[in-house]
Amino acid sequence: MINSNEIIDDIANKEYEFGFSTDIEMEIAPPGLNEDIIRFISAKKNEPEWLLEWRLKGFAAFKKMEFPKWQHFKMPELNLQAVSYYAAPRKKKQLNSLDEVDPELLATFEKLGIPLNEQKALAGVAVDAVFDSVSVATTFKTKLKEMGVIFCSFGEAVQEYPDLVKKYLGSVVPHTDNIFAALNSAVFSDGSFVYIPKGVRCPMELSTYFRINAQNTGQFERTLIIADDNSYVSYLEGCTAPMRDENQLHAAVVELVALEQAEIKYSTVQNWYPGDKDGKGGIYNFVTKRGICKGAGSKISWTQVETGSAITWKYPSVILQGDYSEGEFYSVAVVRNRQIADTGTKIHHIGKGTKSRIISKGISAGHGDNSYRGLVAVGPRAENARNFTQCDSLLIGNQCGSHTFPYIESRNKTAMIEHEATTSKIGEDQIFYLNQRGIDTEKAVALIVNGYVKEVLNQLPMEFAVEAQKLLSITLEGSVG
Amino acid sequence: MTLPFYQALTADVTALSAQLPLAADNLQDIRRSALERFKAIGLPTLKTEEWRFTNIQRYLKEFPYELQQTPVAVSADTVAAAAIPGLDCYRAVLVNGHLQTELSELPAGKGIIIGALSAHTTAPGFTTWFNEQPHLAEAVLAQLNTALFADGLYIELAANTVLDKPLHLVNVYTSNSPAFVQPRHLWILNRSAAATIIESTVHPDSQAVTFANSVLETVVMDNAELWHYNVQLGAANFREVHTTATHQHKDSRYHHFNFTLPSTPFTRNNLSVALKGSHTETNLKGFYLANQHQHVDNHTFMDHIMPDCYSNELYKGVLLDNANAVFTGKILVHQEAQKTNAFQQNNNLLLGDKADINSQPQLEIYADDVKCSHGFTAGQFSEESMFYLRSRGIGEDAAKALMVNAFSHDITSEVNVPELQQQLQAQIAGIMNN
Repeated sequence: MINSNEIIDDIANKEYEFGFSTDIEMEIAPPGLNEDIIRFISAKKNEPEWLLEWRLKGFAAFKKMEFPKWQHFKMPELNLQAVSYYAAPRKKKQLNSLDEVDPELLATFEKLGIPLNEQKALAGVAVDAVFDSVSVATTFKTKLKEMGVIFCSFGEAVQEYPDLVKKYLGSVVPHTDNIFAALNSAVFSDGSFVYIPKGVRCPMELSTYFRINAQNTGQFERTLIIADDNSYVSYLEGCTAPMRDENQLHAAVVELVALEQAEIKYSTVQNWYPGDKDGKGGIYNFVTKRGICKGAGSKISWTQVETGSAITWKYPSVILQGDYSEGEFYSVAVVRNRQIADTGTKIHHIGKGTKSRIISKGISAGHGDNSYRGLVAVGPRAENARNFTQCDSLLIGNQCGSHTFPYIESRNKTAMIEHEATTSKIGEDQIFYLNQRGIDTEKAVALIVNGYVKEVLNQLPMEFAVEAQKLLSITLEGSVG
Repeated sequence: MTLPFYQALTADVTALSAQLPLAADNLQDIRRSALERFKAIGLPTLKTEEWRFTNIQRYLKEFPYELQQTPVAVSADTVAAAAIPGLDCYRAVLVNGHLQTELSELPAGKGIIIGALSAHTTAPGFTTWFNEQPHLAEAVLAQLNTALFADGLYIELAANTVLDKPLHLVNVYTSNSPAFVQPRHLWILNRSAAATIIESTVHPDSQAVTFANSVLETVVMDNAELWHYNVQLGAANFREVHTTATHQHKDSRYHHFNFTLPSTPFTRNNLSVALKGSHTETNLKGFYLANQHQHVDNHTFMDHIMPDCYSNELYKGVLLDNANAVFTGKILVHQEAQKTNAFQQNNNLLLGDKADINSQPQLEIYADDVKCSHGFTAGQFSEESMFYLRSRGIGEDAAKALMVNAFSHDITSEVNVPELQQQLQAQIAGIMNN
């Protein structure tokens, strides 16, 4: 049996597997944040006047706000003036086939394992690849178009479907929501836009690979997904980032709108560079994700597997406005080395008979600090609202921390709310049991962790579940409590 | 800040305490730094995380409270109203925090020191433990109390001293004009000592509004055991912030029970336990039954500093009418506190149409070999149970009362003074049957 400390050291010292950087000619805005930069971005992207105004409103809101102080970690010093707010791969001309894509870019995707080429299309994944803010290739577009599904980059949507964008942009996460959302509203570069028309069940999983590349370029994605009446869509988001010594800020905004009887399933597997073993470098993932169940009987489900980032700070939320609408949140957050995760969800029960379910599994190892922070609020109109929350924590090693900060507010007597949380370590008896049956300690831990997070991984689409499982085993395999 | 008495607080502490009975005590330095601390932190607002759901300023602004009270005579009948039927016990009566020996029946004997706090400020127990509990520094109202308290009850039991009967502490709050009263208590149980102390409050309804900001520090030394009951019956013209800060040493047992019943409109209980030794047992139990516009806020903090300790916290509440309850339960497990077992549970029955509950069960854990859990529920009577009772000819109200009785049973059944248990059960039933 391998000494458990050795295994922990081994894991702690493991270098980031996907660390590499692509050299591609970039068009980069000078670092700094001011109105001119916002006008520059807007002009670069050939945006209509109303969007520029909206950006400037966001900037005005941003200037009035301060960084929050309530989070359970030390806020890193962010010099937003040192960030360059625009970077685009130079080639912007229309591409007809993948052959025209910069080969170096394709090589990067190859390394990341993005099924961008036609063969991979058989896997049934349509990819809208965001490479440093601007989409360069989109597959399956034609097929989706036939069904009326719009799946394109945000910039494209602004040009082609301005009415839809105008109607829903900022309707879930207003530009005044929080400082990072305000910043995003002001400087967002690009992102994805999805519209599922009435009665359409999107035939494939929509997926986008985000990737942060150019040094010192914060990414400010904006994703907007609208599911019209009786439609269904499953959206996947996956992330890897090259190794960097400097911290990179990622302040994206994701907005989901589910209309009557619509269902949106949003899955994330996040594997950004977490920094080295002393916590140097790594991505700051300060994302605002929120969905609204606007119509009766609609459903939004968030699933996230967080293994990367120096700091993960996000609360994918659901506003249950429509009667009998449903919200779900499934999360696995793993921290090791000096990683920090302060994540959870907010569920607002507004409509009658609304239901929500929260399953959060935290795993802490090394010097990691993992917090679950969640809000379940039941409004006075939410008759017979129902919530179930479970947040479990697994501690590996005695240097890490695991915390839960749930907020539960009920203003309706017919509401039923349940919350439970447990914290424990991997039991020696469990390891012993598996050892006895010829399973070595490393595999035993993997098995136990796997079982522990199964409830969440089960929610992921299959391809993603496999990737997530792989990620978890890279991160934690062999760590013995 | 426009609170009438707050202006007085910004004056120099020496000038201020000159108006108070303890002008010449030996605590000037402690008082001064506490006042500075209070001023530095400032009165809590709704933006203060610890007071998010409790607007204390609203209650402080209600009346021009006076910090200094003129003594009011209290009759034996007033005190008798608080008596626990059939209970053979010692009695300590405090009027606005001042001990009334003629109304009291204090225990005496070898190893028992009991008296006014002001008379014991030079006792070794006092100098060692007064204002020592680490959580008090963060509690802004406790700082205010430290700066300006007038008096309270000092108890010290010598090693191996066991109080043979429960001690009933009757807090009488009474004044002819709106008063801000700040009693301060210090109870020390030395090695292997044991006591049961029942605290209750009397506020004659005809008197002026009183705001009590009381602080109790308890020290439970090695292998000692303290059962502390706090029964808050209150009255419509009473408001209360009750802070209990406990130090627990190795092998000690501490059982704290808090009952909040109608009809004090504003109650905030701060309960914190800091562990100074291993192998301790801590039971924190609470039951709140609130009606009308009552606001009940229970704020608990279980600080697991040492390894191998056990704590169990259970708070249950029933909210009628427009009642409003807040529960914050924090368990902090330090890195050294391995083998900690810490449990926490908060269950609520929302029966009033406008009743609401805000709950924050928090776990903050830095040690890996621990077993910690918390749970929270808010809901209604189960329909099946109601149907079961109704189908057996039990009226709706009676059925509800029965169910509340059963709901509270988890707490009341743990009360180890049978007379008190019976009284509490009768009081709960009485409120439900109204």
